[in-house]
This record gives sequence, C-alpha cells and structure tokens, in this order.
Amino acid sequence: MSSRVCRTCGGSDIDVDQARGSAVCTGCGSVLEDNIIVSEVQFVEGSGGVSSAVGQFVSADGPAKAPLIGSGFHTSVGKESRAQTLQGGKRQIQQLGSQLQLNQHCLDTAFNFFKMVVSKHLTRGRKTEHVIAACLYLVCRTEGTPHMLLDLSDLLQVNVYILGKTFLLLARELCINAPAIDPCLYIPRFAHMLEFGGKTHEVSMTALRLVQRMKRDWMHTGRRPSGLCGAALLVAARMHKFRRTVKDVISVVKVCQTTLRKRLTEFEDTPTSQLTIDEFMRVDLEQECDPPSFIAAQHKAKMQQLEQQLAQKLDDVEGQISCYKDEIETELERSRPKLSGIYAAYAKEIEPEDAKALPATPDLEPPEAEDDELRAAAQQLTQDFLCQVIQEEEGRGEAGDDSGREEGEGSQRQAAPLAAILGKLPAPVSLGLQQTFDASEASEEPGDEPMEGGDLDLDGIDDQEIDKYILNQEEVQVKTELWMKQNAEYLKEQQEKEERIKKEKEQGTYKEKPKKAKQKKEPILASTAGEAIEKMLEKKRISSKINYDVLRDLNSRGTGSGGGSSPSRPAPDPPDATTATRKRVARRRRKKASDVSRSLAATTSMIGKRVRHLISSTSKKRKTAVQEEPPTAPKRDATPEPTAEAPPEQEAEAGPALPAPPPGPEVGEEEEEEEVEEECVSALQLVGGQCRAGTPQVHSGKEDKELMYNRLID
Amino acid sequence: MTPITPATPASKSSEIVPQLKNVISVVNLGCKLKLMSIALKAWNIEYNPKRCPAAIMRLREPRTTALIFSSGKMVCTGAKSEQLSRLAARKHARVLEKLGFPVKFLNFTIQNMVGSCDVKFPIRLESLFLTHQKFSSYEPELFPGLIYRMVKPRIVLLIFASGKIVFTGAGSKGFEGVKERAVIYEAFENIYPILEAFRKK
Repeated sequence: MSSRVCRTCGGSDIDVDQARGSAVCTGCGSVLEDNIIVSEVQFVEGSGGVSSAVGQFVSADGPAKAPLIGSGFHTSVGKESRAQTLQGGKRQIQQLGSQLQLNQHCLDTAFNFFKMVVSKHLTRGRKTEHVIAACLYLVCRTEGTPHMLLDLSDLLQVNVYILGKTFLLLARELCINAPAIDPCLYIPRFAHMLEFGGKTHEVSMTALRLVQRMKRDWMHTGRRPSGLCGAALLVAARMHKFRRTVKDVISVVKVCQTTLRKRLTEFEDTPTSQLTIDEFMRVDLEQECDPPSFIAAQHKAKMQQLEQQLAQKLDDVEGQISCYKDEIETELERSRPKLSGIYAAYAKEIEPEDAKALPATPDLEPPEAEDDELRAAAQQLTQDFLCQVIQEEEGRGEAGDDSGREEGEGSQRQAAPLAAILGKLPAPVSLGLQQTFDASEASEEPGDEPMEGGDLDLDGIDDQEIDKYILNQEEVQVKTELWMKQNAEYLKEQQEKEERIKKEKEQGTYKEKPKKAKQKKEPILASTAGEAIEKMLEKKRISSKINYDVLRDLNSRGTGSGGGSSPSRPAPDPPDATTATRKRVARRRRKKASDVSRSLAATTSMIGKRVRHLISSTSKKRKTAVQEEPPTAPKRDATPEPTAEAPPEQEAEAGPALPAPPPGPEVGEEEEEEEVEEECVSALQLVGGQCRAGTPQVHSGKEDKELMYNRLID
Repeated sequence: MTPITPATPASKSSEIVPQLKNVISVVNLGCKLKLMSIALKAWNIEYNPKRCPAAIMRLREPRTTALIFSSGKMVCTGAKSEQLSRLAARKHARVLEKLGFPVKFLNFTIQNMVGSCDVKFPIRLESLFLTHQKFSSYEPELFPGLIYRMVKPRIVLLIFASGKIVFTGAGSKGFEGVKERAVIYEAFENIYPILEAFRKK
C-alpha cells in the first residue's frame, strides 16, 4: 500500500490494518480508509472440514475471454466443449469424492484418469456418473483405500454390477492393473463402525489374525472380502466378550445373513475352529484346508458315484429276486394239483420253454411247443420292441452293443412266458440292428458334408417326430385365441402405427424412417505429408475457428510462388475498415507468406497468442507499419505478378460490397493515400475493427510484429 | 529347431479332456417367414413381439432352442456337439417346412462353442492374477472366477478356485468366437501347465 499523507494533520505515518481493513493516521487518529478491499487469498470450509481457496483458476492457455466478475455461476459460458466436459467431471468427482472422504491427492488422480478416459472417447454411450464412479473406484484400488464398489453404488443408487462393468472396461482400456483386494484392508474400517470403544484395536488385531487364518485355509478365493471380514469380526467380538449380533454385523458389512452364516459354517469346518481362544492366539496350525467349493465338488462327485453303485446293486438284487421268483413259481407249479386235458398240454409247454429261456442262448427256431396265439403275440411284441430300439439307435448312432446286452439282461428279468418270446429276440434284433447301423452310417457320411445346393437334407430326421410338434385345426384355434388375448396391446399399437402411416401418406407428409447407411471410412491416399495433412483436415474438422480453405491455400501458395494469399478471411471485415487498410494488410500478408513458411499446426496454436498481442499492441503496429511502407515499396515492385493475382482474389473473398481498384498502377497512389488516410482513421475504429474481425486481423497483427522484428534484425 | 510345445501334451499325461457343453450355430433359411402364423401352428414355438422380435422354437431331441427371425435367419443353441447342432438345425427347418414355407438350408456355420473341464486340484487365483495381470481379470466383488483372456488361441477362460475351467469364445469386439473344438483343446494344453504352477500343495 502506498503511503499517503493524512488530510487532517499532514503526517505520513499511516497504519494500515489488513485484518480490520482500515487505514488510520497514527498522528491524529483519523480514519482515512475503511473496508479496504484486500487482495489476499481467502479460505472457505467445505464439506468434511476441507478448506479450499476462494476464487477461480484462470489458465494461461485457456480461451482469452476474461471470466466475468460477479457472474460466478456462468463460468462455463463460451468455453469449448471439451473443457466443459472436463470441468463438469471435475465438479462431480469433487462432490462424490468428498462424500467418500477421499483426500485431495486421490481426487486429483481420479481427475487425471477422467481426462485420459475422455481423450480416449470412452465416455461415449455411458452415463457420466458411472464413469466418474469407476474413476474414483480405480483410485481407491490403486491407493488401497478401504472403499468398496458397494459404497459407490449405494451413493449413486446404481446396480453394482453395472458399475463393475464400467470399471473393468476402464481398467482394461487405460491399462491400469488394480491389485487384488485384500480383506485385511477393510477390517479397521468395519471395526470402527461397530463401535468397540477402547478395545477397537485389540478386536481389529484378532479379526486380522482370523482373516489371515481364513486366507491360509483357502476360504477367501473367489469370495467377496466383506463377507469374510464380517465373519471374522463377529468371532473376534465374541472372543473379546462383545455382544454383536449377526444383524449388527451385516448392516455394517453389507452382506446378507445367509452369506455370513455360510462363512461361519465353513470356518467351523476348519481344524482351527477347534482351538481355544488362547491357543488360537499363540499357535498357527500347519495344515491348509481345501477351498470349500473344491470340497463341495468332491462331495458331489462322490455322491454321484455312490448313486451309480447303488443303482447297479439294485439291478443285481432285482436280478436275484427275479431268479428266486422264477424258482418259487416253478416249485409252485410242481406242487399244484395236476391238471388234466387241455390244461395239461399248456403245462407241458411252459416247462420246456423255461428250461430253454433261462440260459438265454439265442434260439433261432421258435420252440415247437409254441401256440399260434403266443406266436402272434410274440411277433407283435417283437415289432414294437424293434421300432423302439431302432428309434433309439438313430438318435444315438452308437452303442449298439449296449442295447444288445441290455436286451439279454432284460430277458432274464422277465417272467417265464415272456422270457420265451424275448429269448429269441437277441439274435434277430442284433442282426436287424447291424443292418440299421450300416444304413445309418452310410447315410450320415454324405449328410455331414456341407450342403451345396442349399436344400434341406432330410436324412436322420423322423417325420413322425416332426409331425408331433405341429398342431391340428382345433388346437390352432385355441392357441390363436390365447395368443391374441396375450398380445392385445401389441396388436393395438401396430394397428395405430399403420393408421398413422396411412394418414401421413395421404397427407403427403409421410417420412420413411431413414435407415442409417454406414459411411465407409475411406483411407487417405496422399503422396506427400503435406497433402495427407490437407486431406485429413478436409475430412476431419477440428475447430470451427479456422478457415480451412484459406489454410490450404496458404500451404500450397507459401511453398510455391513467392506471393501468397492471406491465411485469413477479409470477407468478414466490417465495413468500418477501409479498403486501403485492407490492401496494406494484404500486401504485408503476401510478404509474410513468402518470407515465412508456416506449418498448419503452428497456425492454429498461435491464434490465442495473437489475440493477446493484438489487443496490447494495436496502436504500435499501426505506426510502425506506416514507417515500413516506403522500404517495402521496392519489394512490392519486384513481385508484380502475385500482386496482380492477390487483389482480385482478395476482392473475390471480400465480396461485392467493396470497390475493386485496378491492381498495378494504383500501388503508388495507395501509398500516398494510406499515409493520408492513416491519420483519418480513428483509434477506436481500428481497435473495434480488428477486435470484431477476430482471427483474420489477428494474423495481420502477428505478421506486422514479425515484420517489425525482421526489420530490426536486418 | 527344437519344438516349443512339450513332447507329451498336458491332456495326455493327465487324461483330462475338455467336454463340449454348448454349440451355437446360425443358418439362413432363404425365405421370409411370417412369425405370427408359425407361432400359432406349433405347440413348441413361442412368440412375444413386444419382448423379442424373434420366435423361439424348442426341440426335445436333441434338446435345443432356436431363434427364428422374420428375415429367414435362424440361430440354434443348446446342442452338445457340432453334428448334433447341425441335426437340430435341420429338424427346426423341417418343422418350418411342414408349416408351409419354402425353406432352404444355406450357410450353416458354427458361431461359438462352450467347453468345460475339471483339473481336480484347487487353484490359487490371487497368485495367478498377480503373475498374469496382463491377461487376467479377477474381481471377487463382482465374479468369483478369474477371467483369463488367452491371446493364442484367442479364447476366454473362466478359472475357478475349485479347479473347474470353462472355455468360451464370446465377448471381444471383432472376434468371431470359437469355431472348432480343436481350439478348446489347444487352449487347455496351454493353460494346464500354468494352472499346475498355482496348484495347492
């Protein structure tokens, strides 16, 4: 603060108190100033006790528009879309991060991740809050903070698996390998939430030990770490005589009751659970258990094996039982009173058949004692059996021998009369099967080859089976009714849509939904790098603030002929700027183009700088430019051709509004005119004109400055 | 040139062979279909236009499900082998033919195959994740298994702590899926020595 003289006493000793914001004269005590506006940094306390500085950060290479004081809310007006996205993202990260109580370093890292994500265009098609949450979780994982994905999903009310999907994708795209979660990380956090008071540390230690033991017993592989922590904390609490119920624990740990109980049961199955508390704290058992899923799988396999064995045994037992049954029956037959007449004949038939059937040797010739009825019955049964068997064989295509064996066993099982019929089956059946096998194998091979004609090959498809799927008339009617009722809404919608289309067609306003034709990206073919850049810029418009046509011309002109057209558009020149000024500018530009070869990238980046230069050194440029006019005259004459070319081009670009002066002879006249007109044009006009035109004038400004420098150097 | 692959392949020494559990195939029937009329004439076809634009046909033997689109394309899933998938697709087409449509059987291709096997020993997923971070993704909070994306052959394996492995091809952009069962066998050969390294002693 500059020392001032007191008004009342004239003394120069003034005390400025920054805290009170007042300036007081120490001589007479009069207050010279009150409520001084100080230029110190002020701090404000945010949520969670975090203090942050008041004010905005104005970046040095950002857009030149000064942030409007007093309208602090509209800070995003006028910035580019990318900056807006990043700013919005930063704000959301701060918000979410403060809710999670993350420190500033984490939030900054998260913002860096977000910037990477945006630059890789991974935010497209995803909700920003999902992406933000994923970035934050990524930071949590890399830093090792005890935050779960569940916490984030709680805050956002989003399904945790959706967040997980986004997180996995980001981690893969950004090539960030987050280390695996250790359940030990969560113990202190949960212990704190369970409120153990002074003994929190001890309980945590016990719980940690328990978790480590669980890890060694392979209980944590593939499981949510929070479940394990919950079980460990519950046991630790009980060990230290705290009464924490399952419900308390699950509300803190965020797992369900079943899970917790399951973990406790699994822990119970391990040998460590048998130790006493003291023993557990001292001793570490060597043995490591298998993971519970492995044990369960083994158990299941054993059960299946046992079942199979049981089934086999049952079969054997049945076989034995049937044997006994047969024997009992024969005994009964014998012990029964002898029948006379026709019945005696029947009795005689059964006996020799039994004797033949039991050994199950294939008998090709039917036994002579068989009756006609029995023969007919036998044939019928044979046919049915054959059909069944053949169908099965077609489906499987293999294992014919098994069925043969099964039939053999089956014959043993059956009661005596049927045994006779079935006894003869193995032989013809096996023969029949062989034939069907050969046939099916032969047909399958051409069937496997790809269909060239495109016709449906019906090999191996049973028409009867297919027909079973098709409904008859009545069934179709019933199904139609049901379906119509079910889909009534959909049908209504379709009808309305059709009516709408009809109406629109009549009115002539019908717009057929244009099907998005995929634009094929053609590869850029160019002979030189410059050409390639041109073509690329043509196709891909980077910024709306560049006149690409002029840029292109600049590049081609600058390398070729001496004169060049201006890299900026004189067309949007406001009517304020005079023709002379423009021509002057044009000539300077030409020279500029011939002197300096400019790369396109440099051009775009220099825009910002030029605007600043322009605003600060407008008046200076004008004066120096005028001084340079005479020396540039000889140069101008040396390049008559480009001169002739340039003005018509300028005029073409400038538009019909401006008069078209003749090129050559007017050069000398203009010089004189310029000097005269220079004084007439007001500073306001110049400044206003240049500012409004924006980019075009900027270039000229830059050129002027460079020209000036060149002159100085020379 | 000494061969890089071991002389005795892993599966031969351990006698474990991955089993095919599911085969997904597509076929072009070559004609437009009226889904509504198809759905009403057969009892094993369901059609819910609001939910899905395709009709769903289920077959008992072989037990498969087919999605039939009105453009005439059909997707057949659920078969246990390539031949069965082809047979099932033909049966589905036969049903449609019987319902009165001039179906053909064009461009039958197998799109994806899913196989599984059991190595019969527990696996330390955390250690596997640490050493093969470039290929694996292990998030116990989200999924109990480790997702291993093998580069050659291009296949995705789901590895579980109990020792069970699932081989599948779906998931990546631009990747078409497992087309032949040899790919699954090759993947198993490659992963078996790695898994043995993380076996529970």
